[in-house]
Amino acid sequence: MKRETLISKWLDNNLNDQELEAFKNLEDYDDLVKLNNNVQAFKADNYDTTKELENVLSKIKSKKAQSSHWIKPFMRVAALLAICFSLYYYTTTLDTTIKTEYAQKTTVELPDESTVSLNAKSLLVFNKKDWKKERDVELNGEAFFKVAKGSSFNVITKLGTVKVYGTQFNVKQRDNYFEVICYEGLVGVSYNSQETKLKPGDSFLIIDGKTIAKEKENRSTPSWLNNESTFKSMPYKTVIAEFERQYNVDITLLGIDSTQLFTGSFAHDNLDVALKSITLPLHVTYSKTNNTITLKRE
Amino acid sequence: MGKQLHDNICEEHIFSSLFNKHAKDLHNFLYYKFGDLLNPKDKVQEAFIKLWENCAKISPEKAKSFVFTTANNLMLNEAAHQKVVLKHQQTKPKTYTNENPEFLMQETEYNDKLQKALSNLTDAQREAFMMNRVEGKRFKEIAEILEISTKAVEKRIYGALEKLRKDIKEL
Repeated sequence: MKRETLISKWLDNNLNDQELEAFKNLEDYDDLVKLNNNVQAFKADNYDTTKELENVLSKIKSKKAQSSHWIKPFMRVAALLAICFSLYYYTTTLDTTIKTEYAQKTTVELPDESTVSLNAKSLLVFNKKDWKKERDVELNGEAFFKVAKGSSFNVITKLGTVKVYGTQFNVKQRDNYFEVICYEGLVGVSYNSQETKLKPGDSFLIIDGKTIAKEKENRSTPSWLNNESTFKSMPYKTVIAEFERQYNVDITLLGIDSTQLFTGSFAHDNLDVALKSITLPLHVTYSKTNNTITLKRE
Repeated sequence: MGKQLHDNICEEHIFSSLFNKHAKDLHNFLYYKFGDLLNPKDKVQEAFIKLWENCAKISPEKAKSFVFTTANNLMLNEAAHQKVVLKHQQTKPKTYTNENPEFLMQETEYNDKLQKALSNLTDAQREAFMMNRVEGKRFKEIAEILEISTKAVEKRIYGALEKLRKDIKEL
């Protein structure tokens, strides 16, 4: 038998006994056996079919689970968007609040061209979104309004409502104190369901529930806009209260009648000069410790 | 029988039996053809997952060629063809007890030559030869796996043997 056939049969494990003998007698038998033995060392890594099948099945299952839950991440994104949108909606429809602290003043422009100047320790609330429908502002404190012409403009305070159509006026509402001064145009003041109309220079003043008549105002803007508080025949306690607001101090009165009337003014930018302005006319002395000022009759 | 043709691979037990039948052959085929650098185990896994994803479209008869073709393509995609170096398994139990240093040296030298010679075979020669010699598969089985004729298998393996012997002598 030919050598080639023998080797082929050997390769195919197909030798019969006789052929095997012949194969063993081939001159390169040893070579072939050595090659065969050594090539075994290059065997592939062991392949654990059971383990690999488990891997594949678990992969297939996790893939399936993923694909059927595509809706989950989608819901997450949707929820996030919903939150963002509602937050945006909530903040845009929210009332705008402007607040001043002690010794602080600010000017605000309203959605139309009206402007509001806020005096110290005051609060103004309005709604940008409803502005076209109704021009309503809530005020707690003192503010000077320059209202652009248009529909009615309401200033709502705890003590009364001021209704105007385009004018300049000052509203001051403090504890038991409500004052409106009209500088231009026509202003209607509702107080205890009674309406009073104010012409330029007219003022409306209520202290402790009593209406107080005042002289004609001949300035064109309130004095506090020029950093000065002016009083004409005002109870001393309203002067003190305003002083406390402008300088963020506590004032104690010792043996002084707080209802006596005071006429005069004080500046907002110099504490010592201002103190002299409110004490000298009444022959009162003052002493200062930190933020507390004590006024004493001489 | 007609109904059997439409047995669905999507059924897990059929899929599992196909896996048990072909995964090891596929792995060894990939290993001997491409070496172990390109993770033949991963390619087997990927190919079978692809089989599962397409289970409705493939009949069980076609499954074998599908996974072999898919895995082979995955391998080819991965690397520009480089020289395949089969790993010499250090863990092979020793067959000789009376090893002297000279013999050991000769043995190492021979294995180095063999490794190089194996690399020099064509992919077709190497995969057939290794499946025959190392996995102990007969020509007919290899012919089925590779979907070629028994004669072609014989030619490849015999050719591989001759080439190896020639290379080892020359190297």
